[in-house]
Amino acid sequence: MFGYYFDLALRSLKRNRLLTALMVVAIAFGVGASMTTLTVLHILSADPIPQKSDRLFFVTLDPRRALGFRPGEEATFQMTRLDSETLLRDGHGKHQAMMTAGSSSIEPDRSGVGRFQPFRIDSRWTSADFFTMFDVQFIAGGPWTATEDGRATRVVVITRELAQKVFGTTEVVGRPLRVDNTEMRIVGVIAEYRPTPHFYDLTNASYGAGEQLFAPFSVAMELKLQTSGNMNCWGDGESVPDSRALGAPCDWVQYWVELASADQADAYREYLVHYSEDQAKAGRFQRPPNVRLRDVREFLDYMKVVPNDVRLQSWIAFAFLLVCLVNTIGLLLTKFLRRAGEIGVRRALGASKRAIFVQLLVESGTVGLVGGVLGLGLAWLGLFAVRHQPVDYADLAHLDVRMLAFTFALAIVSSVLAGLLPAWRGCSVAPAAQLKSH
Amino acid sequence: MLQILSTLRRHRTASILIVLEIALTCAIVCNAIFLIRERLARMDQSSGVAEDELIQVRLTGIGKQDNASAITEQDLAALRALPGVKKATSINMIPFGNSSWNSSITKVLDATDGPNCGMYMGKNLIDTMGIRLIAGRDFLPEEYVAADDDKHDPKQVIVTKALADYFYPEGALGKPLYGAAGREPQIIVGIIDHIARPNDGFGGPEVKDYAILLPATMPFSFGGRYVLRVDPAQTAAILGAVDSTLTKVDPNRLILDHMTFGQIRRDHFKGDRAMAWLLLGVSIALLVITALGVVGLASFWVQQRTRQIGVRRALGATRGDILRYFQLENFILATLGIVVGMGMAFGLNELLMREYAIPRLPGTFLPIGAALLWLLGQIAVLGPALRASLIPPAVATRTV
Amino acid sequence: MFRMKDVSKVYRTEMVETHALRNLSLDVREGEFVAVTGPSGSGKTTFLNIAGLLEELTRGEYTLDGVDVKNLDDRARSHLRNAKLGFVFQSFNLIPDLDVRDNVDVPLRYRKLTRGERKQRIDKALDRVGLASRSRHFPAELSGGQQQRVAIARAIAGEPKILLADEPTGNLDSQMAREVMQLLEELNAQGTVVLLVTHDPEIAARAQRNVHIVDGQATDLERGAALIKQPAQSAVSA
Repeated sequence: MFGYYFDLALRSLKRNRLLTALMVVAIAFGVGASMTTLTVLHILSADPIPQKSDRLFFVTLDPRRALGFRPGEEATFQMTRLDSETLLRDGHGKHQAMMTAGSSSIEPDRSGVGRFQPFRIDSRWTSADFFTMFDVQFIAGGPWTATEDGRATRVVVITRELAQKVFGTTEVVGRPLRVDNTEMRIVGVIAEYRPTPHFYDLTNASYGAGEQLFAPFSVAMELKLQTSGNMNCWGDGESVPDSRALGAPCDWVQYWVELASADQADAYREYLVHYSEDQAKAGRFQRPPNVRLRDVREFLDYMKVVPNDVRLQSWIAFAFLLVCLVNTIGLLLTKFLRRAGEIGVRRALGASKRAIFVQLLVESGTVGLVGGVLGLGLAWLGLFAVRHQPVDYADLAHLDVRMLAFTFALAIVSSVLAGLLPAWRGCSVAPAAQLKSH
Repeated sequence: MLQILSTLRRHRTASILIVLEIALTCAIVCNAIFLIRERLARMDQSSGVAEDELIQVRLTGIGKQDNASAITEQDLAALRALPGVKKATSINMIPFGNSSWNSSITKVLDATDGPNCGMYMGKNLIDTMGIRLIAGRDFLPEEYVAADDDKHDPKQVIVTKALADYFYPEGALGKPLYGAAGREPQIIVGIIDHIARPNDGFGGPEVKDYAILLPATMPFSFGGRYVLRVDPAQTAAILGAVDSTLTKVDPNRLILDHMTFGQIRRDHFKGDRAMAWLLLGVSIALLVITALGVVGLASFWVQQRTRQIGVRRALGATRGDILRYFQLENFILATLGIVVGMGMAFGLNELLMREYAIPRLPGTFLPIGAALLWLLGQIAVLGPALRASLIPPAVATRTV
Repeated sequence: MFRMKDVSKVYRTEMVETHALRNLSLDVREGEFVAVTGPSGSGKTTFLNIAGLLEELTRGEYTLDGVDVKNLDDRARSHLRNAKLGFVFQSFNLIPDLDVRDNVDVPLRYRKLTRGERKQRIDKALDRVGLASRSRHFPAELSGGQQQRVAIARAIAGEPKILLADEPTGNLDSQMAREVMQLLEELNAQGTVVLLVTHDPEIAARAQRNVHIVDGQATDLERGAALIKQPAQSAVSA
């Protein structure tokens, strides 16, 4: 029966080409626009590390001075270096790491082997646990150790891309790399690591390409390598001579902890509260304990990682789809009512109201199917345009299989929904009135 | 007219659909056009500097820089020697740039509610960037301190007019401000007309015009950029020569990029431009789709009422009467749609105001939007209405 | 086989109440060929609509081939209509998008038949009306008489018990009209009950039984005596 209705639907579409074209185009545009923005939204709101996003937590405290304190306000944006190093030494979670963004210059080594122009890359200064915590895949070697962190050993982990660029091979473990006038030893090479969004540090590009070089935080501090990101100092008004000094009243370090399971969060929070109280007793913290422990998803939500413009665009596309659907309802209504004669005949010949209803719904769905095919093409075009936008997520804008299937589902479901009212009106046509010609 | 209303009541469903479609389109397009206007205004905002004469060079040292200040001076001297370069200075940030230095400024020490203000630091910024000084004076050479000198804090400050009016509407020159550097105040010695901040979103739209200039010199390792004021005709040549000039002074550096201010401005507003185009595209598409919906429905009604039209004509109606009938019917529907649509438009605007910090839709959109949709409807119905008027009276007598 | 007892049909609008049928009673037995006559507005069309299960009666009983139609829902009525009835209309009412085969196919689709069974029945019906050679033509390509024959093929494809014909020759010239009437008589001879509404006395005269409907009520007439004593009436149109 469904095959029969589908065949009838196709014939009907072919017969009234103009009306069909109108409906199909309207649905296609609505679906194309919606799928473009929905795909972008889907990519940007994805969980970057689904296998453990509920066990990774971003830690912040409130070490600011008493002046200006408002109860209930947020903790500091990031952590101070002192608090980070202290908590790191304590090692209270299963894994923990402190980190900040940086940049470094890569130069050819002194012997001049493989000469190239020095160039600048994004880097990350962090501690040993970073790699296990974030499931970073190594293709050679491995991370440095906590001992090397403590000793500020000159070691680095680089990406495959950097290895290829500098050495032309990935067999580089143990070789030296000249970073900002200092020779460092490569201990590991990782495959490309580009979590989307760049959740552990959103202060630069939330969806950007990721770092190429990782080195111990202690080394970066000793060598005074460049850091970037957000630096917030409070002090008591006195100028801060070196905002990156150990005791500086500035928050600029990201601190992440991995707990054994999500329900350990409360216990860890307690630990942070105790830590804050201890610091208060020691005279450092001046405010009541104000700790924040957010898992990956909560953190991304809190930081509103999806840009406002993207969300606005999604709403615009859906509003557009809505109008297209209202338009389709009207057009389907006229299409079905024009066929009142045929409907009357079918009813007389034994079709029940329900049979006609289903037939008309199948017709609506068929319009949606054709519209969906066209809409898919438009969505592809739309994403093509997005890929040429000056945004850091541009190259991520691709239709994956799931979104493809969703496109068709959206087109068919929305056109069937649009067809409900017209189909009901169509099947309610009184056969008797249609059969007698006056 | 009453006749039309009763006819519409009989074709209730289709009428409601078209009214709904017009209303939705009205609501969306009004807000879309408003948003476009907002974005264009944003893209149009003044930077406060001499845009077509400025070039920015970003650079960084390789490894530790022990001699940064001295090298900076050499760099600037070399750059000033290039033909076409009128002035050069080292600075920490520029309008519409990607780096931002800010501080809470107050007029009383240790107050906690000061607005967040942008802080520009560098030597001779007013001259070099062409900022307009409207009161007081520029900094004196002896007033400058090194930005990385933690033993000395600047004692003077120049503020934007907006900030001066905020703190001291009665007159700001000579008054103190706290929070920029150290516990001692900086005294306002000059007021500039305006300078834009790098990221105008920081701290909210209310503070986007609040910026200060501090008499602090920036070694290149601290600020990471130079600004050159040039003769526009020589821009290309200068851009080509900058890298080699600087590496000659000290090769232990990386020149990250060099751009005209025009390019920086364009990059900064790329997103707004894209959004404006998207909104325009959607608006046009909506209007086209709605017009086609009107055409579809009107054609259908003409077909359904062929016999009645024939009867009317047989009873004496002229072609013009029939045409006008359909136009009037369409006008009524459009009016209903516009009335509902305007309500929806303001409702939608409320939502956008809350979620995306957009200002209120101005009342002038009402007559403009109405006129647009009336016009659209009339144009759309013209085709079917003309066809209706051509229906011959003989139709009335046919039985088949 | 078909029995109406005291059937009334009332149409109510906001302002007017129309009694199209008043206590109409009629019994039709197997194999009968009944011509239904009556002036315009007498209720003939309404009678046919009710007989064809296209409209519901307001009061009374209607039993079709042993089934009481009261309280049947739309699905059951449609099913009954499909199984027991065949329709032929004055204006043919073929579906223009579909060719002859597909038109005849329509009622068969609302039954559970296999593809082979449907093909068989269509072939048989088209053969019966003599249009097997035109099976791929579209209605627009056929003459009036041919279209009506397709409509008859469609009506009999499901092997209904009763054929309801509403002025089947109204749009045909006399030659085609004769052909169609002949076909109907043949079908009747083969066992199908034919209920034919007409206002043409010649057509009515060919029927074996004449029923006259006036003012919503039915009376049997002597064959041939149908229209002699007809007063001109102009009752309210149903």
